[in-house]
Amino acid sequence: MVYKHHLTPLPHTVTEFDKKDALLSLARIRKTLGGQVVLDGVDALVGAGEIVVLLGPNGAGKTTLLGTACGRIAPDSGSVTVCGGDPRLRPEIRRHLGFVPQGLALYPYLSVKENLQTFGRMMGVTKHDLPWRIDQALERGALAELADRRVETLSGGMRRRLNIVASLLHDPKLLLLDEPTVGVDVNARKRIHELLRQLRAKGIGILITTHDLEQAASLADRVVFLSAGRVRLQGAPRELIQHCYGRGRELIVTLGQQADIEQSKALTERGLTALHGGLAWIGAVDGSYTDAAGWTQDLDAAGLSVREIRVREPDLEGVFLRVTGEELHL
Amino acid sequence: MLLGLLRDRGALLMAFVLPVIFFVIMAEIFTATSGANLDLTVVVLDEIKSDVSTRLVAALEKDDSITLRAAGDTDSEALRALVRSGSADIGLILRSDAEPLDEAGGFGPAPLLVVSDPSRGFVEPVLMGRLRRAYFSALPDVAMGNVVAELENQFLTLTDEQRDELAAGLSEMRADAEAGREVGWSFEDLIAHERVAGGETVNLVAYSAGAVAFLFLLFAAVHGAVSLLEESESGVLDRILAGPGGIGVLVDGKFLYVAVQGFVQVSVIFVIAWLFYSVDLPSRFFPWLIVTAAASLSAAGLAMLLVAACRTRRQAQTVANTVILIISAIGGSMVPRIFMPDLLKNLGWLTPNTWALEAYSGILWRGEGLGGVILPVALLLSSGLIGWYVARLLAERRVSRY
Repeated sequence: MVYKHHLTPLPHTVTEFDKKDALLSLARIRKTLGGQVVLDGVDALVGAGEIVVLLGPNGAGKTTLLGTACGRIAPDSGSVTVCGGDPRLRPEIRRHLGFVPQGLALYPYLSVKENLQTFGRMMGVTKHDLPWRIDQALERGALAELADRRVETLSGGMRRRLNIVASLLHDPKLLLLDEPTVGVDVNARKRIHELLRQLRAKGIGILITTHDLEQAASLADRVVFLSAGRVRLQGAPRELIQHCYGRGRELIVTLGQQADIEQSKALTERGLTALHGGLAWIGAVDGSYTDAAGWTQDLDAAGLSVREIRVREPDLEGVFLRVTGEELHL
Repeated sequence: MLLGLLRDRGALLMAFVLPVIFFVIMAEIFTATSGANLDLTVVVLDEIKSDVSTRLVAALEKDDSITLRAAGDTDSEALRALVRSGSADIGLILRSDAEPLDEAGGFGPAPLLVVSDPSRGFVEPVLMGRLRRAYFSALPDVAMGNVVAELENQFLTLTDEQRDELAAGLSEMRADAEAGREVGWSFEDLIAHERVAGGETVNLVAYSAGAVAFLFLLFAAVHGAVSLLEESESGVLDRILAGPGGIGVLVDGKFLYVAVQGFVQVSVIFVIAWLFYSVDLPSRFFPWLIVTAAASLSAAGLAMLLVAACRTRRQAQTVANTVILIISAIGGSMVPRIFMPDLLKNLGWLTPNTWALEAYSGILWRGEGLGGVILPVALLLSSGLIGWYVARLLAERRVSRY
């Protein structure tokens, strides 16, 4: 028997959050671009000393949501509040914001230090404060020994770290990062995670967009699932998994060939959701495995060519898939 | 932006070295073809080989603006071939089968035959002038003798005593001419010269300095302004926009930087023109300063406008190069406006190149003060400021549509 308990609709927000403490508050944000609804009533909050990860497939509206949070994109309706004010209407509010773009937003001809000087001045850091802010940024990014190296000669991981600390020079309270670990190796990613945890410990509120589920699980205090411009679910990763699977486990059935219509119907009735175009199916089973033998018989009876049946600890991908019916890695 | 420019050798070369090289080439061309220093290669065949013909050829040889090339043993056909092939600019035959050189009376073939190529039509009148001067200065006795012979032929008869006096006078005249002393009269004595401003050589070099400077000013300005799109593509713009400044501050900063860079670039070209081509910059420094500032602002405004109207770097480079080449061709940066038909001259007034050239010509060539070039300077200034303002609006509109 499939463990069906948690297939009933889940609450929109698993963890309630006190809006008064929020550094960033997005309320009922709606945005249409080129006649297409990109954000459809999005609510999200980021508090001080909190890492919130925005998860969703390409085209879900993550980057548009970040642009709206910065005050760069005007929503059609809804409100954006950063540290008590609208960053679009009050430019001085943007002093509390740091934004790390997905691309390497650096000047390749300049050295690490010259890049920091340039961005520091652009962000309004005073001449008096700039030297120690630069030293602080170099230390945070573990880049002190590379201060005089030109950016074009740095490795991908070093550039990514510089890309982040260049947005910290004006000491923002809220840091927004768009895919901060794209294209870096495992070690470089670990160092970036360490850096983000240090910033969280300093009380900085952090909002990250990513496709990387491991990153989300490892870093996030809360994740926000965004799909087709709507928040489908948000909460702490453990809580989300707990709500979705309870004490159950994740079941993955891999087929030798795609199920036909009748077979698909049978699988869906048993509470499974198709993955990878129907070659794999995912669902939840009771953690005691009491029904394992019955499963095999049922699949054989349906005439399905089964290559593998796996039962594993559930993760965020399974949660996302079960909530949205969409795969995350597109 | 400055450090980026200093470390990008290609951009540095384009901004400061290439314009200077281009200017030096243009200045050399204008200097060489300005008339005063025209160096003609004349091939001469002296068939007469008399005392008079030898003296005439020797006088031509002394002329600094003529390089004489003796035809040697070649005949007149070989001389014609030399002119036809372009080996010589023009040919001169002192003919033996014609009227004598010292007794020309118009009754037979002329003793001097000028052989020219119609494609180099301007060469013939230049040689005619040089030949006339050589004839009167080196052979005054012959010229005067011809006049007396004509007088005697037409109007009066000289006595033997008068003939002797005349012969003595003509001998004295020849002696004076050979000694390099002023002789009696010449056509040049009838003409005085006056120039309204500057010298012809300086004119064209000053023109080319303005023309080259403004052309490269536009290219360099676009190169600088394109960094706006590079920053957009790399994400730097997103980072800056998240800060308190916004896009307006960025456009303002770039506009000012591009204008200052352009000012330095134009200054380099004019300093070269002053040091090596006698363009009188120091005495016209203040008006030059104002015109250069206005030209730099105009180029910066136009460049910012072109870049802000484009979506990608590639698009901006293509559009900007096309626009710059067209307005530079019409505006006189490539071909001097004096050689243009009226239609193009009038169309040129729609381009900043013409405004800049008119302003520079006014102050450096025609010797006018700022008051005389107020219209082109005002056009340059206002076009720069309008370009900057519209670029700002376009950029703000673009980012608000993200």
